[in-house]
Amino acid sequence: MGKLLRKPKVAIVLVVFLVVFIIGLAGGALGDKFGGGFLGSPLPHLQLAAEKVTAEPQFPGFTVTNTMIATWVAIAVLGILTFFATRRMTEVPRGLQNLFEAVIEYFIHLAETIAGHERARTFLPLVLTIFLFIVTANWLGVLPGFGTIGRVETADQIIHHAEEKAEKDGEAANLATIELHVFDGDGGVAVQSFGSVGETITAEEYEHDGIEEGKRAGILVPFLRSANTDVNTTLAIALIAMVMVHWWGLRTLGAFNHLGKYFSFKRGAIWFMVGILEAIGEVARIISFTFRLFGNIFAGEVLLAAMAFLLPLIGIVPFLGLELFVGLIQAFIFSMLTLVFAASATASHGAEGH
Amino acid sequence: MEALGINLPGLITQIVSFLILFGLLWMVLYRPITRMLDQRSAKIKESLETAEKVREESAKSKADMQKQIDAARTEGQALIAQAREVADRFRDEELAKARTEIQAARVRAEADIKRERDAAIEDLRREFAGMAVSAAEKIVERSLDKNTHKDLIDKVLKESSTVRRS
Repeated sequence: MGKLLRKPKVAIVLVVFLVVFIIGLAGGALGDKFGGGFLGSPLPHLQLAAEKVTAEPQFPGFTVTNTMIATWVAIAVLGILTFFATRRMTEVPRGLQNLFEAVIEYFIHLAETIAGHERARTFLPLVLTIFLFIVTANWLGVLPGFGTIGRVETADQIIHHAEEKAEKDGEAANLATIELHVFDGDGGVAVQSFGSVGETITAEEYEHDGIEEGKRAGILVPFLRSANTDVNTTLAIALIAMVMVHWWGLRTLGAFNHLGKYFSFKRGAIWFMVGILEAIGEVARIISFTFRLFGNIFAGEVLLAAMAFLLPLIGIVPFLGLELFVGLIQAFIFSMLTLVFAASATASHGAEGH
Repeated sequence: MEALGINLPGLITQIVSFLILFGLLWMVLYRPITRMLDQRSAKIKESLETAEKVREESAKSKADMQKQIDAARTEGQALIAQAREVADRFRDEELAKARTEIQAARVRAEADIKRERDAAIEDLRREFAGMAVSAAEKIVERSLDKNTHKDLIDKVLKESSTVRRS
């Protein structure tokens, strides 16, 4: 250890790390209590539902949300990568072609060990699409710019919404509990700025005192938010996965055999109950699919936001690595479970006994 | 549902987006890559089979060559054996011929020797007879008629030759 410290490179790295750590500690939320807090940003406004990108709907009943944009970004990124990977294919693979070939070959082998040679090719496209989409969306979600650049929903709008809602419920709006952030300037786009840890006011204060010139109060609505932090996205993938699983089941076993797993009348009451439980299990699979992915990625976002709030600059670094890992693992779990469900749905009862 | 953010337009948008991605990846990624993988594995299989065939052929030609070498070796050995046999026979024949010639020469020499000896004996006898007659004439000092004399000498000689030969 002492020998290692005497090496100049190691010593420099260590000193830089310590300095950054101390600056982060003083500049973050912890330092804010002792007169610091020059680097921190306020804890972002966290909500489960995806935020609408514009205040007014683009079409009647439809507003683009930030997770939709993230989904399309992920699709565009995948489209561009795969286009360049397969544009000029060579017998000896290089670069992107090599990467995608390795991934596809890995999944082909996996699918062949689980579902056998014939069915592997049937399941492969869906399983791979699920994997590639989820992993791309998750990895894009930790990039800078996700969750920090957006429009500001103004204090007036927020107060208006709160009062409307309160009126509907027959209560008075409690403006003291609504916390607003303070932003510089007044353009269409706002960025969560450094050194604004303490710069929050409640809606009540805003109503009473207003705000100083050149600043605005409100809540940042980011333009981009990791696609899988929206239940709609994960539910959509789960529904597609389970619909395809049952479609394959119907096609290989026939409607009678496949539905017979869930509605069996011939073998008595116990088997009937087992069938009902199986049917409930299928619904449970959709729910677990949906919320496993959503929960993991949303928790990751919250974790990153909290670390950026507590210890800016450096606190986020190990957790970024963790989030990359979690994003990969969740994508793998989702696709693997789809594969396993598909394999078991297409296996006849006789084969299942082995 | 509302609190979780689940809503039908959002859900439908995500489903459609995912299906678009599915179609896109199918066209741009799976079809070309799986085709390439299959093509490559077919090629590898083919070249492995070719290699196997080449190996078999080389083994076969090696065996052929070995067989030819073996054949040549046996042929050579047969030739050597034959040559040796011929040489042996030639030697035996020459030996026998030489032996016969020697034998014949010896027989001839013996016959010559015998003839010479007989001739010598005859000469000796003749000389001896004359000497004996003259000696006897001198001893007895009487003259016998020539014929009686010769008979007497022949008789004596015959007796003496039979005695000596026996």
